[in-house]
Amino acid sequence: MFAAAPLDHACCSGCSLCRLVCPMWRQHRDPRFSPEGLAKARQCGATAAELTAPLEACSLCGACDPVCPEGIDLYAMVMELRRDLSPALPYRQALDALQAKFALAAAAAEAPAAGAQFLPGPALRAHPVLLARVKALLGYACAADDGADIALALETGGEISPARRRRFLDRLSGRTLAVGDGLLLRQLRQWLPGARLQSLGEALASLTTIRRRLASTDFYVIEPRAYHADYERLVAYYDRLQVETGCALNLDLQRIAIPALRQALPRLAAPLADADATQARWMLQGRRPQRIVVESLADRAAFERVCDIPVLHLAELAQD
Amino acid sequence: MNIPPVEPGTVGPCPVAPDALQGIKRQQTNPARWNGAGWQDFVAALRSAGVELTEGRAACGAYVTDAGGTAYGQPHGVVIAHSAGEVAALLRTAQAHRVPVTVRGGGLTTEGEAVAYGGVLLDMTGMSRVLAIDAAALTVRVEAGIYWHSLAEELRREKLDYLSAPLNLTSSVGGTLGVGGIDVNSARLGCSADQALSLQVVTPTGEIVECSDTENAELFQRVILGYGQFGVITEATLRIRRYTPLSMHYYYYSSLATAIEDLQMLDRNDASDYSGILTIMDCAVNLLVAFDSDEREAAFRRDWEARLRGHGEFGFALCMLGHYALRPWKAGEALYLLKRKQAVFPEFRRPEYMRDGKMHDRSVVFSRAVWKHWGSRNMVIPDLATPADRFVAAVERGNAVCRKFFPHYTLYCVGIKLRPEHRPHYEMSCVPPDAEGWAYGCEFEPMIEGEVYSRDHFQAFKNAIYDIGVDLGASYYRFGGMMKGYIRRVFGDALVDRHLAMKRKADPAMILNRDVIF
Repeated sequence: MFAAAPLDHACCSGCSLCRLVCPMWRQHRDPRFSPEGLAKARQCGATAAELTAPLEACSLCGACDPVCPEGIDLYAMVMELRRDLSPALPYRQALDALQAKFALAAAAAEAPAAGAQFLPGPALRAHPVLLARVKALLGYACAADDGADIALALETGGEISPARRRRFLDRLSGRTLAVGDGLLLRQLRQWLPGARLQSLGEALASLTTIRRRLASTDFYVIEPRAYHADYERLVAYYDRLQVETGCALNLDLQRIAIPALRQALPRLAAPLADADATQARWMLQGRRPQRIVVESLADRAAFERVCDIPVLHLAELAQD
Repeated sequence: MNIPPVEPGTVGPCPVAPDALQGIKRQQTNPARWNGAGWQDFVAALRSAGVELTEGRAACGAYVTDAGGTAYGQPHGVVIAHSAGEVAALLRTAQAHRVPVTVRGGGLTTEGEAVAYGGVLLDMTGMSRVLAIDAAALTVRVEAGIYWHSLAEELRREKLDYLSAPLNLTSSVGGTLGVGGIDVNSARLGCSADQALSLQVVTPTGEIVECSDTENAELFQRVILGYGQFGVITEATLRIRRYTPLSMHYYYYSSLATAIEDLQMLDRNDASDYSGILTIMDCAVNLLVAFDSDEREAAFRRDWEARLRGHGEFGFALCMLGHYALRPWKAGEALYLLKRKQAVFPEFRRPEYMRDGKMHDRSVVFSRAVWKHWGSRNMVIPDLATPADRFVAAVERGNAVCRKFFPHYTLYCVGIKLRPEHRPHYEMSCVPPDAEGWAYGCEFEPMIEGEVYSRDHFQAFKNAIYDIGVDLGASYYRFGGMMKGYIRRVFGDALVDRHLAMKRKADPAMILNRDVIF
């Protein structure tokens, strides 16, 4: 008997269900820009270099994984291809420099105190007032080393040294963690299977002080990477949230979280452009919310660009 | 035969002796690949007309097969449709250079109809936007490459819904209008194509024409249920409706014939908004009945439910318990039934789709279940469509064929209300010529369950089903690929030759979807 082969691109039957939820397919309307297109091209022998454009365009939202009826790990397929592509990226040097900067800061971090930890990520660190509010709300210590360099390496297909990974995980092992970066959270689920992990959105939305301030006129924007990484559980979680608060969610009919951003890899560190906000505009089409509540600061920037109603981070709901 | 194990990634010796297949009638599954004559001149002309064509494995790889997964072919190049003008330029150039063009929407054909054996693959999903919603008139104008699911997403924001679509999220509007489209409300509303009010069509010679029952009616009649022979649908205006969740009821039968009789009784009396049959096993048949409103549901409960001969879930479980207690040698069958129930039933009751006992987003629930529990790399689904009076015979004979070829299979039966004013559309289509009032369709779907079957096995199965159709004077939903051999047998030379003459007139170089019917 042979061991069962893992489900990879070879198993793609071409049902196209992943296209329906893929933001890059929505933008390009070209099957090459979809997990199905990547899988089919791989079946025909295409290399990562031949697939550069879709690999750069993928926002790693992970929406494709829960809808794949074959159970193919499409996210892993894209990540693997990105790792293959990574050394040849023309902007690799800039990414490496940014990763090194984050790594330097992490190296200087002191060992954290015991207890639950909060890993904010660079976006939230750039907003000290909001960061302080989140810390106060959660009551968790803020990790000085939040793995920003590791999150960036995951996103860009960069390398993570085993020593760095070990040092990072050793400090987190056995703790309760709230993680601001959805991509890092997904990876931590694999690296720390025993840890109690929550996304920042889930951790905040579970607080009574925040939940009771959500209104039926709100449009609540779930951070898609963390949501799809734990889809089966979080579908039920956000369904309850919707029933309890009456707010509208950025879920499509398949209960997949529509990402507000479709920022491509080459523009990762660049300011948000009009084109990046097209998706947010489409999300609001046909909806008339009085307020938008986001779990991610990147989503706040996208919505602020396309509408003139208040756009609040979840933590800001507790401001008063 | 002793077949030695082969290490993954290596090619072992051919286990078939050179003379092993002698005497077995061979039939070609894939049409011959177009020879590529004049391709480079065509590409140059196309590009000078401003049409983007892509070549290479990254571009063509996505189209190598269809949902059936038994027919394989690759185009020479791909054009992703962006506008009717671009499609028109493509078809004009293809006519001039005699290059075949295969049109693909969702790619959900099962006989290779959406597979290009050389030439150009025209991918219509590039045209997949909602153009205008008229909530007052209850109509929507869409680009024809849009998936029904994407349309539903946008309509739902306005608390609207489409009338009828195949239970598959990735069917495209244009593809469905070209073949018919069956939903569980077809017994009441007709086939999905019946909701089309008007179309923008690019003819095979590259003219852009608006057509409807009153404008260019002949083209409209030929394009609706025309299997892509007479034009490419680029836009469509469809009737829509207000969105409502639905309440579902399931009745279980141990007799297929009884379930079909009850289904037809409900349809004749307009007793439900949705109706259909799904079988789990020969002795476990599910009649699904559903309603858009409490009033319709109450009327059904009052007037029709007691007349159904099926059981509720609990009652049927007791019946099965008794059945298998007396037949202990069929324990394996009972176990399969139980496993299937445990796997499939929760899918239809996922809490995020249920509110106050009503199902929301039925198309998502059904389609996800279909892909998850019935989908596989090979979707072999021969079908039969008959007038109401011959349906039981067709289904029972088809069921016997399934039993002969596969250990497990599912039958999906549904009625299609026929609209007399649409009779011209129905000519040479899935609607049997002599059907009155309703036609009935049955799909015979083997459960592949990870097994590997040869294409010969699948083909022999399909032919056995299709032979029943010839015998009973039925019709078929899927016309392409292997079905071509049956078209003349079913419809007769006179009708097929008349359509062929129309096709030659409309498409002089016979470039458009040429491997599907003629």
